[in-house]
Amino acid sequence: MGEITLYHWEPNANSGKPMLALEEKGVAYASHYINMLQFDQHQPEYLAVNPQGTIPAMTHGDLVLTESTAIMEYVDEAFDGPALMPADPQDRWRVRWWMKFMDQWLGPSFSMIGWCTFIGPSLASKTEEEREAMLARIPLPERRVAWRKAMFAEFSEAELAESRRRISKGVELLEEELGKRPFVASNAYSLADINIFNSTYMLPVGNADICSPELTPNIWRWLREVYQRPAVQRTWAKGTGRFTDRFTAVMRDFA
Amino acid sequence: MSEAILYHGEPNGPSLSVLAALEESGLDIECRAIDLAAGERHGLPGVTDSMAMDYAVEGEGPVLVIDGEAMSEAVFIAQYFDEAAGGCGLQPADPYARWQMLMWCRQATERLSPAAAYLGLHASTAGDAPLDTMASEDLRERWTDWQQRRFDEAKLADSRAKVAQFAQRIEDQLDDGREWLMGSFSIADLETFAWIRSMRHLEAEAFSGKGALDAWMGRVESRPSVQAALARSTTGEPERAFAPGPEINRWG
Ligand SMILES: N[C@@H](CCC(=O)N[C@@H](CS)C(=O)NCC(=O)O)C(=O)O
Repeated sequence: MGEITLYHWEPNANSGKPMLALEEKGVAYASHYINMLQFDQHQPEYLAVNPQGTIPAMTHGDLVLTESTAIMEYVDEAFDGPALMPADPQDRWRVRWWMKFMDQWLGPSFSMIGWCTFIGPSLASKTEEEREAMLARIPLPERRVAWRKAMFAEFSEAELAESRRRISKGVELLEEELGKRPFVASNAYSLADINIFNSTYMLPVGNADICSPELTPNIWRWLREVYQRPAVQRTWAKGTGRFTDRFTAVMRDFA
Repeated sequence: MSEAILYHGEPNGPSLSVLAALEESGLDIECRAIDLAAGERHGLPGVTDSMAMDYAVEGEGPVLVIDGEAMSEAVFIAQYFDEAAGGCGLQPADPYARWQMLMWCRQATERLSPAAAYLGLHASTAGDAPLDTMASEDLRERWTDWQQRRFDEAKLADSRAKVAQFAQRIEDQLDDGREWLMGSFSIADLETFAWIRSMRHLEAEAFSGKGALDAWMGRVESRPSVQAALARSTTGEPERAFAPGPEINRWG
């Protein structure tokens, strides 16, 4: 039913989700790299694919799909290959619950801290006019506000503190959940693991104070197991390594 | 099926959509009414795994307890009913149509429901629920804001705009003469209707001149499943029953 093209950045957070789901299913796709730090996602060429100006997006023949979690669900249903959703209805509910918790509660806090400490400063060399021009091209008004804060270091101490609190709490809940069963939402690897892994594998690098073999043994066991999956290795080989190399180094130290 | 109980509030918002979805599924699950505005959701009996109840992104919504596990989030409970019933037609079978339905529901839960819940709290008197029974700090804060009547003017204006935009979005979606939002009847109709229904009296202007929206609301309301859900109201005015809902997006 037509070619698949995935528009994505690094195998990380939202971009990593469909990359990994496609790889697990064994579905070949054309890769279209969007350099988020150069704001490719707000260029007319990409806005023609996804007018929201967020990544990832996927085309399948004439169909255009956005929203990383919803794309994964489509990938799982539309293609052959190993099932990435459990069969039991209660397990399926749990997969969805965790993905929403990540996408709407925990993930945005990771984003805020990441933008504030890493992406904002990486744009410091740009002049004020250049930054204003970049902001003017952002289609989503809420996003424009968030990017402005990142670019001009305007996140308030209260909102950063709230994001840090949520990250600690989220890690605590994930640790508890992974004490109940081998994977996040069911006894078998599922979309929930792909979703959560893509947003948490950097914890041992950036948040060693809350995620370590001693503090979070269940998360650690799970991170190692997911990391060793052939599909993860193949997917990571497709990125530049800007995040994944650091994770690999941590894992090597603990091998 | 193992032991299952659905705890629900007045049939408004998420309790309305879940009660109607249960009716559509035909599953035989016991329903028990609780007062969400009194914080009764936080002390349910027989819950051995409360994580999804404590940290529901949806805030105060219905809780389905199965074998001690508390399940939350209205759209996912409705999907559960559909799937546990072996497919009762609440979700399209085609993967792309399903993606469209999920995208619609996500827009409804991320944009419409936080706005409607905020306006609903503004228009209603807070219950004096005991906050120390609530695990989630940010949910507790939404309760405190309601009890102390701390409302942010910018958030109220934003919420009004979002309700009006969503009403327009529904009108546009129905523009080609379709009967239901996704073509065939689905969870998208229930979830959207359940939240927009209470806005008709609070934000009347958003509905004026929208004939397709009005007719669609009539069609959803007259479904036997929705009628049965509404009949569970104990106050006779379910559209006036609110409790803290999802938070308004704190990130783009
Ligand atoms: N909810 C969307 C969010 C997508 C999203 O925000 N992606 C980030 C990258 S992880 C992005 O596009 N950021 C760049 C921008 O907002 O300009 C999804 O899950 O796909």
